[in-house]
Amino acid sequence: MSRWRDEKASIFGDNSEMNLFLAVLMPFLGAVLVALASRRGRAFAAWCTGGVALLSLFLLLPAMAASFDGTTTIQRLTWIPAAGLDLAFRLDGLGLLFALLILGIGLLVILYAHYYLSAEDSLGRLYAYLLLFMGSMLGVVLSENLIQLLIFWELTSLSSFLLIAYWRKREAARRGARLALTITGAGGLALLAGFLLLGEMVGSYDLSVVLASGDIIRAHPLYVPTLVLILLGAFTKSAQFPFHFWLPHAMAAPTPVSAYLHSATMVKAGVFLLARLFPALSGTPEWTWLVGGVGVATLLVGAVVALFKHDLKGLLAYSTISHLGLITALFGIGTPLAAVAGVFHIINHAIFKAGLFMAAGIIDHECGTRDMRRINGMWHYMPHTAVLAMVASAAMAGVPLLNGFLSKEMFFAEAHAAAADWRVGIFLPAAVTVAGIFAVAYSLRFIHDVFFNGEPIDLPKTPHEPPRWMKVPVEIIVVLCVLVGIFPAQTVEPLLAVAASAVLQGPLPEHNLALWHGFNPALWMSVIALIGGVLLYLGRKPLFVLHDRLSGRLDARAIYEHGLRTIIDFARRVLMRLEAIGLQHQAAVLILAALILGSAGMLGAASPLTGSRSLLPVDGVSLLAVLTLIGATLAVTVLHRQRLTALIIVGAVGLIVALAFIKFSAPDLALTQLSVEVVTIVLLLLALYFLPPETPAESSKSRRWRDGTLAVLAGGGAAALAWAVLTRPANSIAGWFLDNSVTGGGGTNVVNVILVDFRGFDTFGEITVLAIAALGIFALLENLRLIAPRRDVAGRRWDSDVHPLIMATFARLLLPLALLVSVFIFVRGHNLPGGGFIAGLITAIALIMQYLANGVTWTHARLPAHTHPWIAAGLVIALLTGVASWLFGRPFLTSAFGHPSLPLIGELPLASAMAFDLGVYLVVVGATLLILINLGMAHSVSHEDEHAKEGPWKP
Amino acid sequence: MLKNFVPPDLFPAMPEIFLVLMACVILLVDAFLGRTQRWITAALTMVALVGCALITYQTMDGQVVLTFSNMFVDDLLADLLKLMLYLSVIVALIYSRDYLVARQLDKGEYYVLVLFATVGMMVMISASHFLTIYLGLELLSLSLYALVAIDRDSPRATEAAMKYFVLGALASGLLLYGMSMVYGATGTLEIGGVAQALHLGVANKTVLVFGLVFIVSGIAFKLGAVPFHMWVPDVYQGAPTPITLLIASAPKLAAFAIAMRMLVYGLFELAEHWQTMLMILAVLSIALGNLAAIAQTNIKRMLAYSTISHMGFMLLALMSGVVGEDKHFALNAYSSAMYYIVAYVIMSLGAFGMILLLSRAGYEAEHLDDFKGLNQRSPWFAAVMLAIMFSMAGVPFFVGFFAKFSVLLAAIDAGHIAVAVFAVMFSLIGAFYYLRVVKLMYFDAPVDNAPIQASLDMRFLLSLNGAAVALLGIFPDTLISLCTFALMRSL
Repeated sequence: MSRWRDEKASIFGDNSEMNLFLAVLMPFLGAVLVALASRRGRAFAAWCTGGVALLSLFLLLPAMAASFDGTTTIQRLTWIPAAGLDLAFRLDGLGLLFALLILGIGLLVILYAHYYLSAEDSLGRLYAYLLLFMGSMLGVVLSENLIQLLIFWELTSLSSFLLIAYWRKREAARRGARLALTITGAGGLALLAGFLLLGEMVGSYDLSVVLASGDIIRAHPLYVPTLVLILLGAFTKSAQFPFHFWLPHAMAAPTPVSAYLHSATMVKAGVFLLARLFPALSGTPEWTWLVGGVGVATLLVGAVVALFKHDLKGLLAYSTISHLGLITALFGIGTPLAAVAGVFHIINHAIFKAGLFMAAGIIDHECGTRDMRRINGMWHYMPHTAVLAMVASAAMAGVPLLNGFLSKEMFFAEAHAAAADWRVGIFLPAAVTVAGIFAVAYSLRFIHDVFFNGEPIDLPKTPHEPPRWMKVPVEIIVVLCVLVGIFPAQTVEPLLAVAASAVLQGPLPEHNLALWHGFNPALWMSVIALIGGVLLYLGRKPLFVLHDRLSGRLDARAIYEHGLRTIIDFARRVLMRLEAIGLQHQAAVLILAALILGSAGMLGAASPLTGSRSLLPVDGVSLLAVLTLIGATLAVTVLHRQRLTALIIVGAVGLIVALAFIKFSAPDLALTQLSVEVVTIVLLLLALYFLPPETPAESSKSRRWRDGTLAVLAGGGAAALAWAVLTRPANSIAGWFLDNSVTGGGGTNVVNVILVDFRGFDTFGEITVLAIAALGIFALLENLRLIAPRRDVAGRRWDSDVHPLIMATFARLLLPLALLVSVFIFVRGHNLPGGGFIAGLITAIALIMQYLANGVTWTHARLPAHTHPWIAAGLVIALLTGVASWLFGRPFLTSAFGHPSLPLIGELPLASAMAFDLGVYLVVVGATLLILINLGMAHSVSHEDEHAKEGPWKP
Repeated sequence: MLKNFVPPDLFPAMPEIFLVLMACVILLVDAFLGRTQRWITAALTMVALVGCALITYQTMDGQVVLTFSNMFVDDLLADLLKLMLYLSVIVALIYSRDYLVARQLDKGEYYVLVLFATVGMMVMISASHFLTIYLGLELLSLSLYALVAIDRDSPRATEAAMKYFVLGALASGLLLYGMSMVYGATGTLEIGGVAQALHLGVANKTVLVFGLVFIVSGIAFKLGAVPFHMWVPDVYQGAPTPITLLIASAPKLAAFAIAMRMLVYGLFELAEHWQTMLMILAVLSIALGNLAAIAQTNIKRMLAYSTISHMGFMLLALMSGVVGEDKHFALNAYSSAMYYIVAYVIMSLGAFGMILLLSRAGYEAEHLDDFKGLNQRSPWFAAVMLAIMFSMAGVPFFVGFFAKFSVLLAAIDAGHIAVAVFAVMFSLIGAFYYLRVVKLMYFDAPVDNAPIQASLDMRFLLSLNGAAVALLGIFPDTLISLCTFALMRSL
């Protein structure tokens, strides 16, 4: 890339070397200009547009002159070095030919459109779109870089979309435009894939490299997919069978647009690509069969259908398809001579088809309709136009002395020559001749139906000759048709020679552009076509009847629309199946996906599930506990609808877990588990009070089976994983804590030291979260009025004795005892099982007991309703303890410890962590009480009347 | 207990620290503001983000600095992604303002939650430790859950938030599970350490591959790749549009960052394993995303499916880094993935910005039909939307084209030709629904003729956004080179 970067300076230094770039850029700039200029009148806009096109032509002149000497001009600008892309333009013979066609015919169309469009249509808009299109098209034919070519290619699709949809009020225009864009845009993406593969094969996206690497490409294993993808792009653009159906619908565009798009430019981009990549891709059986086969099929289909079209532009559209098929077939044959003929027919077709579209436009303009069943006898109304149209039409039919004859003759000759090589034998010449017959017939129909054949029927307007300048473009074209037809060697030969040699990238084959080649098979085929065509036209009536009966059966567009509908329906159906609506469904998909991926990982690992670690012996008590645990969890699952029962069993599960902690000598954890279990169950019970006692059965049986299976599988997977990990040796970090707990944290209760020292920061975070959670729940419950059911399912009322005397008395008795225990647990915590967390929970349980036993009112008189200050105090104490260590130059929460001796009690192990533990204690008590009291309050509020009536128990 | 305590180097985390402080300040200030003074909160939020951007920009030196015991990293990749992150959050805030004010949703919580989500994303981007990643992810996710439900009276939003939360929690669980496996196998959660352990071959690969599965699942969930995509359509559709805008833009940058950090930086030695997984995710995402988008009538839902397919494309690049033992293409592949994500964020901001532009009090422009005839109502904004739709479809000369192009190039370089062709084919199908929006705007008669009401700053920014989509398509080089450079300096 750096090579080009160096060159950049010289490119900008010398303006003459940028002219290709400027020539392409000019129409784009011009489009903006014209859109603005159109406010100053139609003529002004037309002059501006024409000026822009001329300027582009002028900018190309130096390079054009060079290309006649066989020099290929290549100019580069750095664009995206990171992606290896330059703006690179090339002008060789083929580019020259197309640039001339694009700009030359463009100029004629600009002139023509000025007179064609009615005053209420915005000419500026049309011109702006036209220039956009012209610039894109120039970009396509002048690109050196394949990716850049593709970009311009897509731009032609877009700008032609705008052109076709010019009359946006018309439904047909919009549908036609969308169809064209979908088909050609889709083809463009296929082309992108093809180009990427091509670039991958030769290692460069530069055309020069690609064209020189034909052998590498053809020998590459990816040749066939590449070819197919590129051909998809070319065929969709050039409206080849079976993608031809968008073109007739694009006829909804204003006629100048059709004249431009469907003669020299848009559809020619496809055959341009075939010509461009001819040296790189051709010469294999795949190429011959695909390109040749599609070409011949298109030639035939287009020619046959064209005859039956009543719409003037419809006839021309199908004839365009047919002629494009002819060109494609020529490139498909693949001999150098056939390629020359292909290039020649590109020129000829562009010329006469532009003239024909313009003539059709004049007729449409003057008659107000394009229906050939109504437009008759125009000879009397517009003799001048009639002559022009008839000459162009004859050229299309391949009548001698006109340009169409020459290239068609070459085509016939090639088809005949190819028949010897092809295994198709007589089929090719026969098919070609049949197509020729139909071509003559539809050309004849165009002439006879429109200009003769009696009087016009029911025309909206009375036709007359169009304005002088509207005919001038057609006249120029007809003159060209005749000149090329009679003096080919003097007029078109030099251009054809450079263009064809650029296509072949090698020496030109012997060819002779002359009218008379003697009596050869090609001439006989021409004669048969001409005579057969006339005969076919004479006997057309029964054929039309047959066609009318068959029409509608085989409409490619219907197939396309059906395809579109099918895709949309398919998408809907896929969605119905896949788009999980409910949360359960979504979670099921998620779990299933994780399960599948996980199993894939586990199977892929191909190592035994069980690791090398030896298992501990099983003793009876543990076995019993585990069995109880399994039984309890199963019972919860089965009984989960009966909420109270399920809750109590969940409590049992928690207790067994506490027992497991004891078995593994973790009394601290067991204590914590125990107190947490009690608090949670109380909390849940309080919440349950407001809920119906049973969960309604909502899921179907099949759903339950599905979920059950999924749960078993996912649980099994997790269990297998746990098994795999637990049976493998692991480096436990426990040893480190055991070693450092006394020396580093001053406590022998490792769990507590971890909580308040080693992981003190975590604990600090946790109590903060606990505090926030409590505040959040408080905010949710405050002033909440919950209606609790007064009777259970069986219709029984609550016991009238709300606060039994014995229970109340014992609860009060227990309170100081419980508080004492909690202090004891708190103080010993640092060295023996216990600690602030457990102590806090014990205190909380003791206080809640008072609420449960004595009622809210009684307890409220003795305890503050809000425990916020407790929480705040706890947090502040914990924070200060942490910050204090900063004063001693230690990190946050480093603990200091000592063993002061107190009178009476004796030596007391005291660490600064104790203060921290106090913070924990306060937060736990405050938060738990806040939550539980407020849940209880919600109930008490709703039952106020009841309480008032019965009155709280007073001692 | 630590005798020789060295305080961590706080300097690399300056932007995060600043933003957290600002968020706390805003939280406090907002508590004392009345409804009419809410603009102060909005302005302070802007100041916070711009301040962050300045700090990040000023401290950007291209060095890789680790701090907080190697849990946090500041490198060029992080700086670049953070700058884009601030930009997209700022844009999202400006786009959202009118909408929120009209619905009285511009509460202080909104701004603070957005800021906390931003901090979460920044932590994800700068994480060099699996747990740091998890912390950032949770901070982001929790803020987003709350944001989705910010319109408490909307049952649809609440439902979406609920689904998002439950599934998100599940996915977080998977991710954590995966991380614990990685820890079990390598004995460390430091990303560099994991890579080291892998490189030396001391890690238990069986356990590691297993952990990898869950890590990839977690990332896939965050990105919204099939089959972990279920939340995407529901949340995109259910959440208020400004929140959708937020979810659809910046978090993808962060998700890309954690994918890079965990998979490429940490588990690079396992590339052959995770690349296969990513390929499956990519193929499924591209297929389902494009197919499902066709059938949508709600544009937010349509864009949700389009996001899914875009993420598939991004994964396509991520899975193309290593071919066998050959790491030659890695830089190219990852920078194209990064470019794709950035391009996606720009397009996504524009698309949802357009929906917000057309919405007004009591009217949500969330149906495709609401875009009908936009060209007659406002040719300029129709052109902006046209650019965005074309860009999303991958039409040349828009930023989306180069994003797709470089990704396809990377995939082909890595020899995934069938996958690349498959992706192109499905983009074709994708082109259909983007073009449908264009057709509606240009060819159909408007259903709603009300003039577009939007503040000047939003109009200006949205125009700029549309221009960026077009200009970055014509001059994509700077961005591509920037991505490559950042990755080169940070890998």
